[in-house]
Amino acid sequence: MLRVLLSLFLIIQAINSNAQTVSGFVKDSALREGLAGAIVKTIDGKKGAATDTRGFYKLELNQGLQTLQISYLGYVTQQITITLTGKNIKVNFSLGSNAISTKEAVITGQRNNKNVTSTEMSKVELSGEQVKTLPVIFGEPDVLKAITLLPGIKSGGEGGTGFYVRGGGPDQNLILMDDAVIYNASHLLGFLSVFNTDAVRNVEVIKGGMPANYGGRLSSILHVNLREGDEQRYKLNGGIGLISSRIMAEGPIKKGKSAFMVAARRTYIDAMVKPFLTEEQKSNGYYFYDFNAKAHINLNEKNKLSFSGYFGRDIFNFKSPTNQLVKFQIGWGNAAASLKWFHSFNKNLYSNTIFIYNRYDLNNKFEFGENGFQLSSGVEDLNIKQDFYFTPNKKHSIKFGGQYIYHTFKPGIATGQVGTITINESINKQYAHEWALYAMDEFKLGNRFTFNAGIRAVFFTQVGPYTERIFDSEGIEIGQGKTYNKSDVIVTYPGLEPRLAGTYLINSNTSLKASFTRTFQFLHLATTSGAQFPADLWVPSSKLVKPQLAYQYALGLFKNFNENLYETSIEAYYKPMYNQIEFKPGANLFFNQNLENEMIFGEGLSYGIELFAKKKFGKLTGWIGYTWSKSTRQFDEINQGNPYFFRYDRTHDISLVASYQFNKKWNGTLVFVYGTGNATTLPTSRFAYSPGYDLIDNEPKYTFIDVYDKINDFRLPAYHRMDISFTYLQKQTDKFESSWNFSIYNLYNRANPYFIYFVPDLEELRIKAYMVYLFPILPSVAWNFKF
Amino acid sequence: MKNILYHILLVLGMILLTACEKEITVDLPPGKANLVVEASINQQFPNLNYVYISRTIDYFNPDLSLNGVRNALVYITPGTIVGNDTIWNESARIQMIDINTIPGIDLLLPGFSGIYFSTAISPQIGIPYKLEITAENERVIGYTTIPKVAEIDTVFWKQELDEKNGDTNMFVTFKFTDGPEQNNYRLAIQNGFNPYLLGWGSASQFRMFNDGFLNDGVVPYSFFRPFNFGDTLSLYLTSVGRKEYLFWESYARAANNGGPFATPIIVKSNIQGAIGSFTGYGVSFRSVIIR
Repeated sequence: MLRVLLSLFLIIQAINSNAQTVSGFVKDSALREGLAGAIVKTIDGKKGAATDTRGFYKLELNQGLQTLQISYLGYVTQQITITLTGKNIKVNFSLGSNAISTKEAVITGQRNNKNVTSTEMSKVELSGEQVKTLPVIFGEPDVLKAITLLPGIKSGGEGGTGFYVRGGGPDQNLILMDDAVIYNASHLLGFLSVFNTDAVRNVEVIKGGMPANYGGRLSSILHVNLREGDEQRYKLNGGIGLISSRIMAEGPIKKGKSAFMVAARRTYIDAMVKPFLTEEQKSNGYYFYDFNAKAHINLNEKNKLSFSGYFGRDIFNFKSPTNQLVKFQIGWGNAAASLKWFHSFNKNLYSNTIFIYNRYDLNNKFEFGENGFQLSSGVEDLNIKQDFYFTPNKKHSIKFGGQYIYHTFKPGIATGQVGTITINESINKQYAHEWALYAMDEFKLGNRFTFNAGIRAVFFTQVGPYTERIFDSEGIEIGQGKTYNKSDVIVTYPGLEPRLAGTYLINSNTSLKASFTRTFQFLHLATTSGAQFPADLWVPSSKLVKPQLAYQYALGLFKNFNENLYETSIEAYYKPMYNQIEFKPGANLFFNQNLENEMIFGEGLSYGIELFAKKKFGKLTGWIGYTWSKSTRQFDEINQGNPYFFRYDRTHDISLVASYQFNKKWNGTLVFVYGTGNATTLPTSRFAYSPGYDLIDNEPKYTFIDVYDKINDFRLPAYHRMDISFTYLQKQTDKFESSWNFSIYNLYNRANPYFIYFVPDLEELRIKAYMVYLFPILPSVAWNFKF
Repeated sequence: MKNILYHILLVLGMILLTACEKEITVDLPPGKANLVVEASINQQFPNLNYVYISRTIDYFNPDLSLNGVRNALVYITPGTIVGNDTIWNESARIQMIDINTIPGIDLLLPGFSGIYFSTAISPQIGIPYKLEITAENERVIGYTTIPKVAEIDTVFWKQELDEKNGDTNMFVTFKFTDGPEQNNYRLAIQNGFNPYLLGWGSASQFRMFNDGFLNDGVVPYSFFRPFNFGDTLSLYLTSVGRKEYLFWESYARAANNGGPFATPIIVKSNIQGAIGSFTGYGVSFRSVIIR
């Protein structure tokens, strides 16, 4: 079948072979990495193209003398004159960096009016360098924190890296690192993400209008692309922050042909805080580390191989200060590896073949004297992706391909010895095949209409080995059901996901866009909290647990002003979600074979309007985004069946980022964010329980228990803060660069809510409410260097 | 697990030396006043056969008392299982008496209210019991059975000198035998000289566990935190039914709920018409002086 398709495309290509094609790569002259979104156009501006994510461009030009201009924000524009004699030629460009503008914190990837003319809606991109210029906490630049400054993407709250896109939950974001799924993207219980910014090349976020080549999650795709490595010379980058340091080395393996990149990071929070801890706390220890490695080799002009790997862990050690026999260690983290083969069949057809392995696991070791046991859980994927990119002519840009994932879910394994009893218990592992086939075509109808029509067919099959276990209403296992052998099909869910997007170009600076998507999600995060915990489990769709389903309708008006100096847009979206999953109030998710019966199923609805304005060039750059939105959930078993606000429903959300280049040495960035307070559930009444009489104190003893009538009916105070940072370029030569980042987080010392708790005051005879807030005004400094 | 993580976060919070708090005003709507019942029977200690009745109150109501409900009609009836049916022996029905009607009790046990008690009841293992309450025109009904007792076999301890403060730490372990059937336990620990518990709530600590991990064998239960040399330690290892276990397990989590990752926990009542539980305890008791 594949051969037939390829033959078909080759025939189509032959029909168009009279066209004169100029193609090639636009690369950063220093990094030797492709520049995505660079513009290659004829000097008269009549013909042009933007480079893709690899830095690849292709132009159809007439024979004769042609002058091309190559431009990219922050780089010196180049011009070149070539003579076209009828043969297709390749021309590669290396652009040199402009030191001033590379420090500007602007969204890259959209240099001209592409935001107006393309069918893409709701897609944004940030580079690793831009993330570093933003104000940070504790001197730690963070990719996930940076993207929450974009409209439609909301932060989970103070200090967290969780993000929520257009009313979706945290598990509805597909987080990819060089195509490998990262199931838990946080270190330090969410305070930092697993992405080392030194190793990050850029970050792409698709929050709506998801094209057909992506799927698997309802709300968004976050793709973190790591640096490829410099093919020309060896470099060392790094940074020293208040709680961790990072380093990255890159260089050629064979000059001009292959390169490597390795990066590492470790926190020293454990060592730094020891002097401040009590003796009891000193017996605890926490740290995290991560490694990135990437290498590529250009086999020839048509073939390129690249490998990317990641390994990171968080470790918490505990030794009882009062009982030397008692100790435990909890370790959790991700591992991922991908091997990518790029192959160009001809000037119109190329492909990417990617083999991926990824894993998330949690391991707990408990010891008390001669007794001890281990608990572990996790999820593991083997994944292959095949993407074809085909451009038969100027009017069509076709992508097609497929993906297969073999999932292994390990909800819990316990082994050990306690007394006379040997522990060898496990929650049933689950296995599943996930398939997807897709095809999409971006095509033009006349001069004003551009459409992107795609279809994605998905199949999810839970397979054996698996033995059904039957429970009574009290959660007691009362027997076993059907046993499935290896590869026996337990349940299959097929689905079709149409993806449509269209642009009507009103004029060269104004367009109207619309999109429609239907998406399924077969994996679900078992959590009862807003934050993602190491012990949270990913569970598959099964006989009982139906796949999540969402539709998203979006409409937007895009307009640029002043020769594309300013970009503005207004987007409205409407997103109903079905088969949403919650857990029964008070459900116990830990090592629970009966987990599926703790689940309840309902619906969600989210809609809103996003306004966005951005200044792209000049000394002052930045953007302001405003979102008005509403997001609700409805479950028959919760809130008496009435719809209630999603925890992260946020009526108003504002983000302002402004960056100013004072001179060649100094750059300043100001960030302001405002969000309506999170919806939370607070008790409406209480009761005294478990009474006893203390004969020594001669008074009754009892405990107060809270009663909850309504879900998420209370609003925490609004969240807002202003941060500022200054980057001082201390030294910049061809061989060495060093800079300092000075940040002040929460400039006006706003007490933003982290959580609320209540305490009965027995002297004043009243219940007191306290709000805990994490970060007051916090200055920090980080030193970054490059050799 | 969540508790462990919460403690990690607390440590990190202290590490960061930045976490702050301030008192705020919260305006909550009034809640509905529901009946609350805790009914306990066991085969060994007559003082632990009682029913406590109260009502929920608005969260910010300054009343921090037991808020007991008086003048209720409370009955406990034993039954007999015949096939799949239970026949209730109405002639053996026992009425529980409001202790506040006993002259002088308010002086003897000030602040205790809503407690109903009877010396006439003598619960037995394996017998089903029915609870009936009529209070303020509301009716509550509940059922329980006292499960088989898991006897405490041995209690032993290890002595260690705490070099930091010169104390002698006593690390206690007891062993009991878990049977092959599914068993659920509520362990009450009374630390200090006290001749008897006046209500389960007068115990120092509680633990909830079942035999999901450790089934059918001699199970050692170790206390990670040490006791002091010379302490009197009373252990009430109680076997409870599954529904009762689910209630007390949810109660334990609700009682310790708090912090940034707290989620609303609704206790899993096993009675109809009220929040709460009717629990039959199969008690194994051991008291030791640790020295």
